[in-house]
Amino acid sequence: MRNRAHAIATLTVAALATVLLAACGSSSSSSSSSGSSSSSSSGSSSTLPLKAGENPSTETLYGKKKGGTLTVYSSVDFAHLDPGESYFGGDYPVVDVTNRPLFLFAPNASTTVVPDLATTVPTLSNGGITDGGKTVTVHIQPNVRFSPPVNRVVTSKDVAYAIERGANPNVANPYFISYFGANSPAPLVGATSPKYSGGPIPGIQTPNNTTIVFHMTKPGAAILVPALGLPTSAPVPESFAGPLDKKSPTTYGTQYLVATGPYMIQANNKTGQFAGIGYQTGKSLTLVRNPNWSASTYSSAFRPPAYLNQINYKIGVDATVAQLQTLKGSDAVEMDQATPPNLKLAYQKYPSQLTVTAGSGDWYIGVDNAHGVFTNVNLRKAFWAALDRAAILKVVGGPLEGQVMTHFIYPGTAGFQQAGGYTGPQVDYNQDPNGNLTVATKYMKLAGYKTGKYTGNQTVQLVGADNGVDPAWTQVVDSALTSLGFKVHASEPDQSVMYTKYCEVPKQEIDACPIVGWIRDFADPFAVLYVPFYGPAIVSSNNSNFGQFNNPSVNAAMRQASLIVAPAARAQAWANIDKMLVANAAAIPEYFANEDVVASKNVNGVVDQWNQGLFDFEFTSLTNP
Amino acid sequence: MTTYIIRRILWGIVLLFLVSLLTFLFFYIFPAVNPAQLRAGRNPSPAIVAYIAKELGTNKPIYTQFYDYMKGIILHFNFGFSYYSQASVIGLIKNRLPATLSLTVGAVVMWLCAGIPVGVLSAIKRRTFFDRAAMGTALVFVSMPVYWLGLIVLYLFAADIGKFPILPGSSTYVGLTTDPGQWFTSLILPWFVLAATSAAIYSRLLRGSLLEVMGEDYIRTARAKGLSERRVIWKHGVRSAITPIVTVLGLDLGTLLGGAVLVETVFDIPGIGRLNYDAILHSDIPIVQGTVLIAAMFIVVANIVVDISYAYLDPRVRY
Amino acid sequence: MSPLLEVEDLRVSFPTEDGVVHAVDGISYSVDTGKSLGVVGESGSGKSVSSLTMLGLTRSQGARIEGRIMFDGEDLITMPDSGLRKLRGNDIAMIFQDPLSSLHPFFKVGAQLTEAVLTHRKVSKSAARARALELLEVVGIPDPDRRVNEYPHEFSGGMRQRAMIAMALANEPKLLIADEPTTALDVTVQAQILALLEDLQRRLGMAIVIITHDLGVVAEIADSIAVMYAGRIVERGTADQIFHAPQHPYTWGLLMSIPRLNSPRGDELVPIAGRPPSLINRPSGCYFHPRCPYVQDAHRRVDPRLAPVNGDDGHTAACLLDPGVRTRIWEGVQSGRDVASLRRLAGSGSSAAGGSAVGGSAGGGSEAGGLGGGASVSEARAPEAQQ
Repeated sequence: MRNRAHAIATLTVAALATVLLAACGSSSSSSSSSGSSSSSSSGSSSTLPLKAGENPSTETLYGKKKGGTLTVYSSVDFAHLDPGESYFGGDYPVVDVTNRPLFLFAPNASTTVVPDLATTVPTLSNGGITDGGKTVTVHIQPNVRFSPPVNRVVTSKDVAYAIERGANPNVANPYFISYFGANSPAPLVGATSPKYSGGPIPGIQTPNNTTIVFHMTKPGAAILVPALGLPTSAPVPESFAGPLDKKSPTTYGTQYLVATGPYMIQANNKTGQFAGIGYQTGKSLTLVRNPNWSASTYSSAFRPPAYLNQINYKIGVDATVAQLQTLKGSDAVEMDQATPPNLKLAYQKYPSQLTVTAGSGDWYIGVDNAHGVFTNVNLRKAFWAALDRAAILKVVGGPLEGQVMTHFIYPGTAGFQQAGGYTGPQVDYNQDPNGNLTVATKYMKLAGYKTGKYTGNQTVQLVGADNGVDPAWTQVVDSALTSLGFKVHASEPDQSVMYTKYCEVPKQEIDACPIVGWIRDFADPFAVLYVPFYGPAIVSSNNSNFGQFNNPSVNAAMRQASLIVAPAARAQAWANIDKMLVANAAAIPEYFANEDVVASKNVNGVVDQWNQGLFDFEFTSLTNP
Repeated sequence: MTTYIIRRILWGIVLLFLVSLLTFLFFYIFPAVNPAQLRAGRNPSPAIVAYIAKELGTNKPIYTQFYDYMKGIILHFNFGFSYYSQASVIGLIKNRLPATLSLTVGAVVMWLCAGIPVGVLSAIKRRTFFDRAAMGTALVFVSMPVYWLGLIVLYLFAADIGKFPILPGSSTYVGLTTDPGQWFTSLILPWFVLAATSAAIYSRLLRGSLLEVMGEDYIRTARAKGLSERRVIWKHGVRSAITPIVTVLGLDLGTLLGGAVLVETVFDIPGIGRLNYDAILHSDIPIVQGTVLIAAMFIVVANIVVDISYAYLDPRVRY
Repeated sequence: MSPLLEVEDLRVSFPTEDGVVHAVDGISYSVDTGKSLGVVGESGSGKSVSSLTMLGLTRSQGARIEGRIMFDGEDLITMPDSGLRKLRGNDIAMIFQDPLSSLHPFFKVGAQLTEAVLTHRKVSKSAARARALELLEVVGIPDPDRRVNEYPHEFSGGMRQRAMIAMALANEPKLLIADEPTTALDVTVQAQILALLEDLQRRLGMAIVIITHDLGVVAEIADSIAVMYAGRIVERGTADQIFHAPQHPYTWGLLMSIPRLNSPRGDELVPIAGRPPSLINRPSGCYFHPRCPYVQDAHRRVDPRLAPVNGDDGHTAACLLDPGVRTRIWEGVQSGRDVASLRRLAGSGSSAAGGSAVGGSAGGGSEAGGLGGGASVSEARAPEAQQ
């Protein structure tokens, strides 16, 4: 296995080299036409990149040595360590190894759901999915224990409580309303009202200690099952967390935690307090083995080997310096996207230590479909045609950072190929990644501007950000607009302000937000397109449908596609929706993102392809523990 | 003198009050994050946002919020709660203060030990090779951006990534009580980076000041008394020339105690500067307000101390 | 008995960007133990430089020093700095013009006094302190116990100068050099300080060199006087000789510009026209010729040397006019004769009395040319005439 993997790695490096050289030399980027390109990879145990919709890679997960301590550098702190709250990619590496949701996705197989706490994945054939898809029955492992101080065996009630507490405003789970509650195409019975705020849900029943039955109002099994792979289904003991959940915000996850996974955050084993012990805000986090975890409580082939004895996070480091320390040193990985100089260094000098994972999200311009100049679809198409997407990719760091984006389902998700793969739908405004002013002019004229340039009196409000490459990126977008004659008012606040004050607030009616994008919550095309483009999903703040796109036929198609169970049909249905989004120019695509991370030489770093290509501590090991 | 001190302290309190008021208003008026939204996470239902806003009191009128905030500080020494970090602001500040103190005090000692002798020697050996070399080097260091110098120093000397690996590099800081040896060695490079610019400035300053002083009549008298040249320079000359240094030192110290964010970031030292910086990135307003206030406090205190020390340095000064 | 201090042909010059400054151009004088010499001249005449050079305090400025300064049998010019330091503040003490700037503002007066003692004597701190108190009493400062702990800025002007004198006396110097000791003081205080110096001289048997621009200051206290101009001594003699039988036009000018309480109201002060010359480019011939009212043609070419007056070695003057003529001119000046007739008097007997000719022939008197130098009365007057 090793040699073969190595050979493949070499081949891909060569392929990438060719692409890079070609890209650097000419002005047409086209990695889209070469098909195999996106990324390179590394030695024996790291990921090979996913090509669009292809089968999982040959990442080797087993047969490594046990022991050792891994140092993890991260420039950003954790946002939420409570499995009921976390949704940032950076939180997942910790939340995933300390919790056991019902299902999970294997590191090298992001489209396949496998059981974790559950004994099997419910399907139509094994009777797990019944009632036409409206009922899902899950059995859980009988002997899984909580970590100290709770220690007892996990029951189905703990899973029910875990999901129910998501609607409690003191917990405020971001997925609840989209996948289980009011905005879901198939909400749980009893949780259909937006006012539901915690407490037992009639739609979740626990007939015995190891069985949970979910009842939905519509046949949404195809959404529910992968959604139950989110951390929110990891068991939480009500006796322990209940009192904590009464505080606003809950202190479960900020002061106290219990774990079910192979690791736990170092804590006071009598009280469960980890804050100040295993976690110093902004400084460090320490993961140690969960003494109550047992490797025999898994039924899938993907039981975590948990090689490492301990994982030490150092938080708040400077990414540039830490990546260099990681590359040159030992026992370390770095969680931040490799900065351009380090990316180059790693690619040239330490290729076996660099992991490039395609399909870690996409970036597009959220254009306001509901107010302002871009209510006119032809103007949106003109914008699309005029934008130099290849320039954006160059500005953010070049071909290792990703590929030019040509439609909305991104690589690694079912439906990607059906939606057009890397080249995308061949409508004229999509064809040239460098931008094509002629085509743009055509659409300007169709919009009613006879000269091909905008002559109206509305100014385009453009809100970018000021960190790192963002200003240069915003500039590329700005110039596309000005080339069409638009007057642009561009501002570049801090990134979190950009989101929470402008781009996520519909009332602000920002015409264009170039630095927004999406990372799916789980590997299903539903999770890629639903929240960002479903009309009724628009909320008044922290809104993720940036363009306020609300097209009734698209909305209906989405509702229908959500409920399709058969994978091939499902993929095709969503690919069709993707084509509709392209036809409507719902947003302006920029690039499909890669995740580029580095590890030390003696680290077999295994990354989770379903989680942006970040390291998975259950499968990562040292070569010399 | 006592009335002077009391008066200064009272004014200092007024100033701090104004600073906190301005910071408060600043974040209210300028684009910033609604803490309720921050807490609410992604795609919250309006009900959740409203509930959280009520809990946080962000719906109250601004003067009520400010009143509550000031009351918390004055009565309970409570600087608020950070929802992003899920910790009390004062707790976080206390947690980060030792690192900033370690960094600041060590750097000050280093730059005084370097800057003062170089400044004095340059003045004595005016226009010689030593003087020109020293002042030239000083100019180079003054012009270096701190972040850049930090990176250079790491690339050269850090034990893990440097070309001549002799000193601990980034992320090696531990508290003094945890391991004094490592505490010390991990701070050598950061001290150097912080001290380099200041030592350069101080040496130039002292050189100029001393040159001026050495032309004074009382220096001539000291020589005419038969004092050795060394005594004339150090006891009579430097003693007078040191006054501007004391002013600048007081202010520098006050400023640095507010956090040297660039050095703290490059070397991964968990001090107040980085706390402030991280908080700004996440629009974690309570922390930013707290660190700004703490930094202002240090500067106000430093100013008062410097002014008072003047009276001791220069007996002609009377308040 | 040989003089305590003997300066022989001292020359001091400084290289500067504009040229070489000849600050002291060959002066010689001597002082006996217990006697006082007044060195008088305008600012820029080199009077201070000569005394600073004595203590080696001009060495650091790149000065070129030639000649000999014999003190107590040793040549101070060739003495290394370590030796000079033993003398400074010990055998030779110096006090300066402005005691406020000359005393260190940050140290207590007592501390500065004890420092003067401890630099040269190995005594205990308390002994030094006792000496400090004693010195303050000697110079007449009241309430010395309190004063010893005060700072210079807490003293009045006169008291500060007394304190400085006290500091100079700390180690019973054989020679005290006082550089413009009263210039910064009020007239009444001046008199007190001068009386003090006189008194101390008598009691301690100390030699004093007083440097001043004001002849009036040295009237009482000096035994002998040297008048300096442009780095040279132009006349030297006993106080009596200088005041009653001055033999140099510059000295006459100095004497005439001393204000007198008993001069008639309405009498104008008579300044010396013109400015002191540049010490880089000195005038040709007699240095004083541009400003001399009695200048003759030859004076522009010939540089006079100090020559005895009336055969008396103790009284010398450097002037090309005949001594007899000079005496008559002086009498005329004193009796108020007009300048024109005095000039005619000068023209009639203008042979150079000794001195080296710098080109041109001596003799052949011609009518005095112009006044030479600026004639405007509003020229910068030497500060001496202001009191």
